[in-house]
This record gives sequence, C-alpha cells and structure tokens, in this order.
Amino acid sequence: MKDIKGYWNDDGKVGIRNSVAILPLSVFSGVAALNISNAVEGTVPLLHPHGRAEIGLNRERFHRNLVNQVLNPNVQSALLVGYEHKTTEKYLAEIRSKTKKRIESVVVLDKGTIESVAAGTKLAMDLSSAASEVTREPMSPADLCIGIKCGSTDGTSGIASNPAVGAAVDRVVSLGGTAIFSETTEIMGAEDVLSKRALNSEVAAKIMNAVKSNEEYALNLGVDLMGVNPVPDNIEGGISTIEEKSLGAILKSGTSVIQDVLPFGGIPNGKGLYFMDSPSAAQEVLTALTSAGSQLILFSTGLGNPSGTPISPVIKVTGNRYTVKRIPEHIDVDVSGMIFEDMQRSEAGDKIYEFMLKVINGKRTKAEILKHREFSPVPVGL
Amino acid sequence: MQDFRKISENDNVAVALRELLPGVQVIVDGGAIRINDRIEFGHKFAIKEISKGSGVVKYGEIIGEATSDIKPGDHVHINNLISLRVRRAH
Repeated sequence: MKDIKGYWNDDGKVGIRNSVAILPLSVFSGVAALNISNAVEGTVPLLHPHGRAEIGLNRERFHRNLVNQVLNPNVQSALLVGYEHKTTEKYLAEIRSKTKKRIESVVVLDKGTIESVAAGTKLAMDLSSAASEVTREPMSPADLCIGIKCGSTDGTSGIASNPAVGAAVDRVVSLGGTAIFSETTEIMGAEDVLSKRALNSEVAAKIMNAVKSNEEYALNLGVDLMGVNPVPDNIEGGISTIEEKSLGAILKSGTSVIQDVLPFGGIPNGKGLYFMDSPSAAQEVLTALTSAGSQLILFSTGLGNPSGTPISPVIKVTGNRYTVKRIPEHIDVDVSGMIFEDMQRSEAGDKIYEFMLKVINGKRTKAEILKHREFSPVPVGL
Repeated sequence: MQDFRKISENDNVAVALRELLPGVQVIVDGGAIRINDRIEFGHKFAIKEISKGSGVVKYGEIIGEATSDIKPGDHVHINNLISLRVRRAH
C-alpha cells in the first residue's frame, strides 16, 4: 500500500492540510478576517453571516462549530477575529483549554477594522511562518476521519456513486479509521434498516429518535416531510417512495456497525462509523463534518455539486457520465463504469480509495483548486 | 453495457440502465421478460409477479406496497406503488 503522510500538530493529531484558520467570531469581523487572509499566504478565512443574537439550539450549534473548526487536525493554528472583547475572550479561553495549538486574537471594536487588519496581518504572518516549518511525516489510515456526504442526487447515485463511496468507507473503517455520515432527512424511511446496524439498542433508539424529532419539528412548522419527499425531480428520475430514496442514500455509509449518533458538529469519541443528526444542505453538512474532525470528505453526486470547505478537501464522486462531460471542474472521481461498463463496486471503491491517498499526500481536489470554501455554522434548513 | 440492474438477490424489480421500449425482451436470472411499458433510464420494472397489497423489493428491502396487480415487465412507479412510511406517518 502507498505510504501516506500528514502534518502532526501540537495536539498529537495529524492533518492532511496545514492551514492557519482566520476565524471571524461575528458577521461584523468578517471583512477584517477576509482582508487578513487575503494578505497572508497559508491562511484560510472561515466567513459566515452569524454570531449575533442566535438563540437556543442554533446558538449552541454556532458555538460548537466555531470551537470545533479550530480543533480539526487540518488546522495548524488560528487567529480569532472577534467583534467585541467579552465574547472574544470567552472563545479564546475555551479553545485554548481544548487545544495546545497556537491561537491568537484581535478585536475589531477596539481599534476599528483597518487597524485590526494591520494587527491581525502581523499575527497571521507569524502563524503562517511557523506552520510552514511543519513537514509531512508518516501517518496511518487509522489516523483518518472522513466525512461522507451526497448531494445533487440523481438516478445514478443509488446504483453507482453511493455504493462505491460505501466501499471506500468500509475500507477506511476496516483499517481502524473513523467515518461520519449524516443528513437525517436522507435516512427517513430507511431508519429501520439503519438501526439494525447500530452498536446496541441505545444507539438504535437514537437513530430512530433523530428521524422522529426531525419529522415532528417539521410538522410543528406545518410541513409534512413525508408528503414532500421524494421531490418532483426524484420522481422524474424514477424514485417512487421515501423508502427507496433513503435506501439508496444510506449505501454511501457502507456496511459497518454504527457506533453512535453525534449532534450537529459534534466530535466522535472513538473509531469506526458514526451517524450525525444534521440537516441535509451541503454547506451545512460539510461545515458540521469538518467540525467533527474530518480531514477529508467523500461526496457522492449525480448532477454535480461544486461545494467545498475552508479546511478539508472534498472529493466529488459521480456515476453520471454526462455530468463528467458537462462540468469536469466539479468531479474528481468518475465511477460511471459501474453503469456503462462492467466496473464492480469493489473496483470503484478501490479507485476512490487510491484517489483519497493522493489527496492525503497533497493532491488538490477540484473544490480546493477553485477555492470553494463554503462555511455555514448555523443550519437554516432541514 | 447492461440494459438493466437487479440490485439485490431478493428484488422483484430491476432498474433500467437505458430506455427500454415495449416489446423488448430482457433476460433476468435466466428467464425472458417482455417489457410492457416504456421504461426510462433509472426507472424500475417488475421482474416477478407482484400482487396488489404485497411488497415491492429493491436493495433487498421493501420500498412500498403494490396498489394493483403488477406483471413482469410492467413499469413500477407512483402509479402502482405507495410508500408504507407515508401511510404510517399520517
């Protein structure tokens, strides 16, 4: 097997990228964060329109996502760009208590945007310089945590890209690694099947409850999720029922035992396969999967989906040959041979796995090259 | 290139991998089936008799219930298949 190497950080964890995260703590410090990041090589901005007056569950999710992004192994160090002192100090103290990485901060309300950019640029230069001294050292597949996502699904997803991704996921898990799949609305109708793969009855109940509470939340808003799914384009593509749609979607998780159910952006406390209770919009799921510690993400798509993350590479896999021809700039791995030729699931899984190893060792994915750095720490949809 | 895919051993439907027109014959598990309707790419057709009220099986799992008697070669879709999950939720 090919050797893989990554960047070991001060937490004793290994990243496959070596970024300095420039993290605005509020919508108002986004401009400063963007300017700092534009000025300094080796940094990535995590721009978002939040951090003011969120309440309840969304406040909790926002907070968890911001803190956990910095903990992701792909982040070597971070600059927090706060808006006001109290909140900035609170984040700084909490993050420093959870990581040994170097974390710096500036506060925009102190001296205004222009001077915060100047001060932040100096700090970020220093962080970037230190990060660039870290070199790639050997790591093992057991050090991997991969996120799993599907989006812009079509008739090819359930018979090609999803099972192919599932085969690659099985391989990572069998080598001692960790994998996380999510999208609660995409397991509706298949939760009975999925819960049979749970580690124990407690985890099985968590899976069933995730679906139930999602359904009830929507019903309280006057929306019957069962009545609107499958959506018209799914039906046109040949999908008849919610069971059929979800049974196709869960194939991307492979066949491993499900260890536990994570909250949106929560970090798993062991190895193996996990399910995350989350909405299904790509930018929200990708954010939550990187918060959970995914160093890379396998993304199964039919029609092609451009999305990426600021800190973890996203590998797009499709079984749709026409998508590969139409928008090659959004596809990394073509498994259309599963439909149009005699490519087997295991063969397609190996193709994805081999590509993954290259990405781990530094090959850039299409979303990375195009700087698709969507970041959405507060979910809006279901 | 295959005309269709039977995904799991116990499935009673298969997925068309290209458009199949009425009258076309496909060989499923050694037996010939004559296609009765136009089956578009990605759509399903029955490969066994499925009587009204019994389960339609894809991925080796029940994806819903037949709302009429379905013959091998028939298009299986929202016209003759209903979700059991939707009924349970209401």
